[in-house]
Amino acid sequence: MNSLCNTQLPPGFKRRSIDSETEEFFINLGPQHPSTHGVLRLVLRLDGETVKEVVPHFGYIHRGIEKQAESQTYLQYIHLSDRFDYLTSHINNLGVCLAIEKAMNIGVPERAEYIRVIVNELQRISSHLVFFGSFGADMGALSVFLYAFKERELISQIFDELSGARLTMNFFRPGGSFDDVPDTFIPRVKDFIKKLRPAMKEYHRLFTGNIVFLERSKDIGILTQQQALDSGCSGPVARASGIDYDLRRDEPYSIYSEFDFGVPVRNNGDVYDRYMVRMEEMEESLKIIEQAVAKFPEGPYRSKTRPAYRLPTGTWTSVVESAKGQLGTFIVAEKGDKPYRIHTRSPSLANLSMLNEMCMDYKLADVVAILASLDPVIPEIDR
Amino acid sequence: MGIMKFIPKVLDPVPGGKSMVNAVDFIVNWARSNSLWPLTYGTSCCAIEMMATSMSRYDISRFGSEVFRASPRQADLIILAGTIVEKMAEPLVTLYEQMPGPKYVIAMGACAVSGGPFYYDNYSVVKGADRLIPVDVYIPGCPPRPEALLQGLMLLQEKIKKETLRNPWTEEDINTSPITNPFGDALQAWKHSETRKDEEQADARAKFKEENPDYQGYKHVRVKREVFPEVPLAEIPAKGLTKAQLFTAISKKFDQVGVHGLEEISPEAIEEHNPLEALNLTVPKTDYYDLINFLKSEAGLDFDYLFDMLSIDWKENFEMVVQMQSLRHKHKIIIRTILEKDEDAAADEVQAKLPTLSRVFRAAEWKEREIYDMMGISFEGHPDLRRLFLDDDFVGFPLRKDFTSDAMIPRGY
Ligand code: SF4
Repeated sequence: MNSLCNTQLPPGFKRRSIDSETEEFFINLGPQHPSTHGVLRLVLRLDGETVKEVVPHFGYIHRGIEKQAESQTYLQYIHLSDRFDYLTSHINNLGVCLAIEKAMNIGVPERAEYIRVIVNELQRISSHLVFFGSFGADMGALSVFLYAFKERELISQIFDELSGARLTMNFFRPGGSFDDVPDTFIPRVKDFIKKLRPAMKEYHRLFTGNIVFLERSKDIGILTQQQALDSGCSGPVARASGIDYDLRRDEPYSIYSEFDFGVPVRNNGDVYDRYMVRMEEMEESLKIIEQAVAKFPEGPYRSKTRPAYRLPTGTWTSVVESAKGQLGTFIVAEKGDKPYRIHTRSPSLANLSMLNEMCMDYKLADVVAILASLDPVIPEIDR
Repeated sequence: MGIMKFIPKVLDPVPGGKSMVNAVDFIVNWARSNSLWPLTYGTSCCAIEMMATSMSRYDISRFGSEVFRASPRQADLIILAGTIVEKMAEPLVTLYEQMPGPKYVIAMGACAVSGGPFYYDNYSVVKGADRLIPVDVYIPGCPPRPEALLQGLMLLQEKIKKETLRNPWTEEDINTSPITNPFGDALQAWKHSETRKDEEQADARAKFKEENPDYQGYKHVRVKREVFPEVPLAEIPAKGLTKAQLFTAISKKFDQVGVHGLEEISPEAIEEHNPLEALNLTVPKTDYYDLINFLKSEAGLDFDYLFDMLSIDWKENFEMVVQMQSLRHKHKIIIRTILEKDEDAAADEVQAKLPTLSRVFRAAEWKEREIYDMMGISFEGHPDLRRLFLDDDFVGFPLRKDFTSDAMIPRGY
């Protein structure tokens, strides 16, 4: 804690003047702090308990994936993509596969598409459950965490049987997936749907109506629609600010166009809305899974494999709607089986970029709530 | 622990003293090993598995370790869940030093053990946490399953139970070993042994043939190869204005724009060129800022959303790529600008300049910082141009093709 001296502001602070009679000071939050979702570091400028400015610092988990990918083959990149947003590994895999498929003109059989959709939506629910749990924990309700992980374990088990891994699945391949789903898949998914519906009600009873939670979340950390648009927010964060845009509906990749589901949109852009959008999204995902399970077709789970995955020269892009927002993959292909340059558009980075404006003039404890409601995954930002 | 060291020395010679020391040891170790309080320290993927271990199904509290502490001063165990990168090294050592002894470290996951998937061709990952702090238990896996973490914890408990007052826990030195390649020699030895094995097997085969001249060989049993069908690529219909319409609207104002990879420009050619991707426009550096401003403000185009910015190093020049989209009309565009490299600038200096977009789109602010950090392109008028990910004293720009670093270990095969 150093007292403010106008001449030497810590890096990143823009507002120079002090307009209060009280003394402003700086505190450091992170990089090791349980409520910064990994290793985000924030430097806050406080006036008493009121936040005046926030400067985030990144890079505490910068793993140089983009550089490393240049010396690995395209298929090896799928496994690296698991690791940037590990809560949505399947969706990241899909993003890479879509770009490769586009470049090499590989189609996907129907059953594989259904597998993709079911698995992706399960992954979205699993990610939102982690959000729900850690959000509760950050708000001081640790028991919420225990409840959320109970249902999440069911999904982890499904993924485990599917691919042998619980977290970093590396399951999809261009043209489908590397293996067919096991016989237990559909029964387990049905069982999961049956269990999550009542569990969702329980969550709402446990947490959503809680007066302390409402007090701490309503009208806190407001992100206006214009700010959200300007800073490139996407996913639930943008939808809570009234931006009605969901790639699954508006630019349907895979076979999302065949399903009937709603896109929850709210207009206040506060912590509560971001929370509710995610909770409603889980229910919509359940609807998609239900429809997909009912129509789950037989047939091949993959289209014809290629001897080598060499992309034709050019640039190839893909966008998928991950649990955090629009996840883009940009591949520059030259000769050979390795990318010349590969870049991932990280939704969390954009979602965080209005943090300063959102936290301004709220209390220090609200920063934790606001940050949790943005649901950032830091390794995805740092890559 | 000062005084405790002398207890065995005093008690051991006394009749019955030995068993007294043993009894104290037993009680101390029992208490210590069953109340390991971990520090909440998780950097990446493995942390989720660590959380899962402490939650409903696996329930780490059966082993007395459920009290995750947020402050190192209250913890006696770090579970290193996740990758450690160079920038994190210093905070990690600080955390370790702040913990009161006796303190223990579990390296959870391939990353903390050795760098894991980020071992080769990587400039920022610390190749094994034991290069920084002493590690007691290593748990392999990427990520290790919760059961593996529990086993690691039990191993640590066993280790603690072996401590005695005669040989108490002592603090090891903080490691500051330079980045080396400990597997380099092992790899050579392995290669050598592989060649020797091949030779030996060839000899054995030749000998066998000599001894059994009429051996027919065995029939291969092979699992039937799966046959996959050829499936056509499903098309995602583009929305909003067509590429040709976009191009016409833009080229009215900017006559120097071209279509990437297309020589002769006509509406049909634009539509047919690279039909799966959005319109790729090339624009000279001078028009870059104006064009993006125009795209944002022009009614009818309404590119209101800056999707992404990145840069490519083409060895002789840089290319700046800006992806934009219109959430209202749902059309997309990619703007590309070639930037000449400044020949006079050294490899670790900024080699190109562009006007900043951060006044047009707020989203550009951090993306430009990232490009500056990774590629060494400077943005004029940027409000806060610092490195985004790497330390300020990092030398060089990693995504350049000529970037070299001592920390990067090239793949040995
Ligand atoms: S070992 Fe694997 S799962 Fe664990 S942090 Fe490293 S990459 Fe992630």
